[in-house]
Formats: sequence, C-alpha cells, structure tokens
Amino acid sequence: MAVVDFKFALEQVPTVLKGVPWTLTIAIVAMLFGLILGLLIALCRIYKLPVLNQLSILYISFIRGTPLIVQLYVFFYGVPVLIDYLNPRLGIQIDADEIPPLLYALVAYTINTAAYQAEIFRSSINATNEGQMEAAYSVGMTTRQGLTRIILPQAFLIALPNLGNVFIGLIKATSLAFAVKVIEVLAISKIIANDGYRFIEMYLVASIIYWFLCLVFEFIFFKLEKRMSRSEARIGLNASA
Amino acid sequence: MSSSLTAWVDIFVRVLDKLPLTLLMTVLSLFFALLIGLGIAIIRIQKYRYIYGVATLYLSFTRSTPLLVQLFLVYFGLPQLLLVFHLDINHWDRLVFAIMAFSFHTGAFMSEVIRSAYLAVGKDQLEAAYSVGMSYPQALRRIILPQAFLISLPNLGNNIIELLKDTSLAFTIGIIDIMGQVRIILGNNHGIGMFQIYVVISLVYWATCIIIESLVGYAEKVFRKGHVGLSK
Repeated sequence: MAVVDFKFALEQVPTVLKGVPWTLTIAIVAMLFGLILGLLIALCRIYKLPVLNQLSILYISFIRGTPLIVQLYVFFYGVPVLIDYLNPRLGIQIDADEIPPLLYALVAYTINTAAYQAEIFRSSINATNEGQMEAAYSVGMTTRQGLTRIILPQAFLIALPNLGNVFIGLIKATSLAFAVKVIEVLAISKIIANDGYRFIEMYLVASIIYWFLCLVFEFIFFKLEKRMSRSEARIGLNASA
Repeated sequence: MSSSLTAWVDIFVRVLDKLPLTLLMTVLSLFFALLIGLGIAIIRIQKYRYIYGVATLYLSFTRSTPLLVQLFLVYFGLPQLLLVFHLDINHWDRLVFAIMAFSFHTGAFMSEVIRSAYLAVGKDQLEAAYSVGMSYPQALRRIILPQAFLISLPNLGNNIIELLKDTSLAFTIGIIDIMGQVRIILGNNHGIGMFQIYVVISLVYWATCIIIESLVGYAEKVFRKGHVGLSK
C-alpha cells in the first residue's frame, strides 16, 4: 500500500464535496443572523441601555471565554432539558427529539458568532468620527436616521475586513458541527477514513477543500471591500485609515 | 437539594482535577508556538529567498484549515508518513501529537502577531540603533523586541485565550483533559446529566479565560509603566 494513495483520494472527493453545502449553509446563515444580532448588541453597548448593556457584557464574556465545542454541547443537551421543563408548564407539546440537528447547529453558531460580530461593530461604530453624528443632528436627522444613513454605512466599511476574518473563522468552525450530529465535510472524511484506515488521504482532501473555500471567500471579501470603498476614497476616508 | 449540591461539587472537583493537563498543553504549545512564530516572522520580515514562499504557504494552509483537521492530520497522518522513512512514532504519547498540532496551528497566528508588532515599531528605531553602532542582533534584542513585545501584548493575550479554548479539541484524539474527563463522567453516568456537566465545564473554561485576561492586562500595565519615560 502506497503511503498516500492519490487515486483513492481523488475518487473520494465527490463524496466529501457533498458536505460543502452543509458547511456553507451553517456559515452563511449564522453569519447573516449574527450580523443582525451583533449589530443590536453593539448598539445596546454603545448607548449603554440599562440591563441590556450588562447582559450583553456577560454574554460576550461567556461566549469568548468558553470553547465553541462546549457551547455546542451545552446547547445540544440543554435545549431538550429546557423543553422538558417548559412543556407541562406552558401546556405545549414539543418533542425535542424531532428538532433536526441542523437547526441546533444554526442557532448555536449564530449565538457564537454574534458575540464576536458585536465587538467588531462596537469598535467600528466607535471608530467613525463623533462629528459625523453631530453633523447628522445639525441637519435635522433623528438618531435613527443618523445611524442608518450616516454612521452605519461608514462603520460597515471599517468592519468589513474583520467581518471577513470572522466569516472564515466560521467556515473553519463548522468542522465542529459533528458535535451536534451534522454530517459536514470533516464528518464525511472521518467516516471514510475510519472505514479503510486512510487517514492521510481523507484529511488531506478535507483540508484542501477548506483551504479552497477560505481562499474563495477571502477573494470575495477583498473584492467587496474594494467595491465599497470606491466612493469613500473620494472624501479621503481611506487615506487617513 | 443538598444531595444535588454535592453532586454539582463532585463534578466540579473531578473536572478541576484535569485542569493542570489543559494548562500544561496550553503552556507547552504556547512556548513552541512562540518559537515557530518568531522564526516565521523573521523569515517573512527579512524576505529570505525560497523559504519566504514556504513560510507564506504554511501560513495560508494553517490559517485556512480547521484546527480539527490539522489535529487529525498530525495524529493519524504523521506516523503513517514517517513509517516510510522507517521511523516508528506510533508509540509516542498522544499528548506529544496534540502539542505538536497546537504549536503548529498557533505558531502561524503568533508569527503574524509578532510580524505586525515588529513592523509597528518603525524603521527609525532600527536606524537610530545602527547610528550608535549596534549590530542587527543587538538592536533586535535591546531596542526592537522590548517595544514590539508591548505592542503585541493585547494580540498575544487574545491568542493565548484562543489556544486555551482550542485545547478542548484534544479529547477527539483520546486525551483525558477537561473535556475527556467529561466524557468519562458521562460514560459512568450512562449519559445522564449531560447538561449540568457541560455547564460546569464551560464555567471552568470561562474562569480560566478571565484569569488569563486579567494577567495579560496586568502585564500590559507593568510593562507600559517602564516605557512611558523612555518613549515620550
């Protein structure tokens, strides 16, 4: 038996590729919901809303202080306990066993990534000049208008490189989804590898797939950044950055 | 109620029992990762021919594949690969493989931390060192690195915390760290009380992270103090 059986590895690529949609679904859905949730949390912290601000600090500290895999397990085993507890009290009948694993993964990854995105938004909103908001007030905009029309477009641009990092981190983090029994790229590779003791081949295939995915998304984010900063360059925001 | 409380305490004690192993993995991996990181950073800063490309490839690979894949590659793949050269490392302890994988992984991130900190110090500092007759190694040791260290501290702290959390993956290759201990407890309990156990373990990680965070914060304060008079 050759050390690395490339023929075998190539033959298995299509099978492993079947896991890519799962990986991307988790990453993209979690990213989108994380954006919304993260933005809300960031606003709670910036405007120091009572109670919500403290809760946000606790939440962010917890998420950043515990490994993702532990969070997945807490969520995966905690939700059925919670449902069992709530069912008789609320008079509802939800069967925890019928919740698909993908849903667990989506919610858990969203909760995880929202904490990181909240910090990114907080720093990028703080990085936009305070005078911008004052200028918005001076032309008669409300706080909400100033935020959505003036601050957020600029903050988003500043946040974009970090958001790209978070997204790539998310793609890699999906390799832990086996913990909630989602069969994605790495899980498939592992199953095949264990079958025939072909560890090098399968893990190489998996790593090349991840590598390729990351390169593609790096490129997309690069293009996005370039495109979005086109209008910014004129007023010299980029020059100072 | 009291019996459930003792159950909680019991789980805590058994999990804390394995905390030293987790910390050992973190500290050893951190040490080797810093060495690797320093080496890669120097290669990338000096732009040594040929190995510059290799270093960049290593960075790209390590940063765009999941740690879990790298862990499996090192643990399952490396022995298989080395057998070709008649090197049998199958009997090595699992811990060695885990530390290898973690060092390899974190080293890439460390090299970027070090590189950015080095570049942030600025060229004029190096020129000033040259102008008083220092050699490059002297300038590096006396002028550049002390300043770069201070700049890199926040990032370094983030990466140490990241590393601590990454060690939670070591159980996948059968190491009995905190997570592995949880597996054993669950096995003995026939899977009862999973939720409590994972809550306990997250509290342990959380507390450890907060301690590391405050240590790094303290270090930042201490080192900054000595530098105020010099740089401003």
